[in-house]
Amino acid sequence: MEDHEILLKFQDPASRNVAFNQLVRKYQSKVYWHVRKMVVDHDDADDLTQDVFVKVWKHLENFRQDAALFTWIYRIATNECLSFLSSKRRKFLLPLTDVGAELAAKIEADPAVAGDEIELKLQKAILRLPDKQRLVFNLRYYDEMPYEQMAEITGTSVGALKASYHHAVKKVEEYVTQSTNS
Amino acid sequence: MQAPFNLDQHPRRPRPLLSEPPAGYFDQLPTRVMARLPRAEAPVAPAWAWLLGLPAAWRTSMATALLLGSFAASFWLSGPAQPTAALASNSLDAVPQAELVDYLLSSGTRVENTDLAVLTAANPSLTSSFMQASESELSEVLDAQPSEEALYL
Repeated sequence: MEDHEILLKFQDPASRNVAFNQLVRKYQSKVYWHVRKMVVDHDDADDLTQDVFVKVWKHLENFRQDAALFTWIYRIATNECLSFLSSKRRKFLLPLTDVGAELAAKIEADPAVAGDEIELKLQKAILRLPDKQRLVFNLRYYDEMPYEQMAEITGTSVGALKASYHHAVKKVEEYVTQSTNS
Repeated sequence: MQAPFNLDQHPRRPRPLLSEPPAGYFDQLPTRVMARLPRAEAPVAPAWAWLLGLPAAWRTSMATALLLGSFAASFWLSGPAQPTAALASNSLDAVPQAELVDYLLSSGTRVENTDLAVLTAANPSLTSSFMQASESELSEVLDAQPSEEALYL
C-alpha cells in the first residue's frame, strides 16, 4: 500500500487500525534494523521498535506531510535510540567509552560475528564512535542514504553530515588498523 | 605490519553482522504493537445502564408497570372529583328551604310555577316539601305551556 493510501485510510476512524497495521508491516524491518544497529541487543531493539510505532500512532494524525512518511518515522526512531542511549549513560553514570564497551561485549557475544575477526574489529570500531556520529555512519555506510534525506532525519546540515561521516570513517579505519597490527 | 585498513575496500554488508531476530518476529510484531496502542476511553454508562442487561420481556413489563403505576398515583393524588352540582347542593343544604323559595319568588329572577313544575317532573321529591300543588295540578300547568317547553322534560 502506498504511503498516501495509508495516510488517507488512517484519517478515517473506521479504517484507522487496518491502515496502521499496514504501515507497521511496511516499515517494521527497516525501523528494527535501524534501531538494532544502534543498540545492538535484540530485546532493547524490540522494545524501542514498539515504542517508535506507538509514537507514530499517537502523532500520525498531525503529520503534516512536509517530509516523506518514512523519513518522519526514521526521525522518531532516531530520537528514540539517542534518548535510550543517553538515559542509559545517565542511569549508570558511565562515560561514553564504557557504554561502547558494553555494546562491544554484546557484539563479541553475538554468534553471527563468530570467526570473522575483521568484521568484529569493524563493529567494535563503529561502536566507539559518539552516538550521533555512529548514527550518521550507519545511515551512510549501511543504508546508503542520501545526505539530503539524512539532513531531514537528523536536523543537521548536509555539510556538517559530510564532515561527520568523513571523520567517522577515519576513526574506524585507524582503530581497525591499530587493533590488527597490535 | 599489515596494510592500513581501508573501509572502501572492505566488502560492504547491508547491515552489521548481528544475529537475526527470533523466528516469526516480524509476523507477530504488528499484533504486539496494536495491543500496545492506547484505547479510546469508554463512554461513562448512565445510571440506568443495568436495564440494558435485562431481557426485553422484562424491560417491557417493567415499563408497563411503571406507566400504570404513574396513572394510579396520579389518580390517587388528585382525589375523588367533587361534582359541581353535588357541591352546590351541599352548600344549599345549609340554607332553609323556606328561605330558598321566598328568595326565588321575590327576587328579580322570574321563577314561575312552570319552572317549579319542571323541577318536580325531573325530581318528584325535590319540591314536595315546599310546594303545595298536587301532581295533577302540576301536570295541568305543564300541559298548558307551549309545546317547545315540553322538550325540557
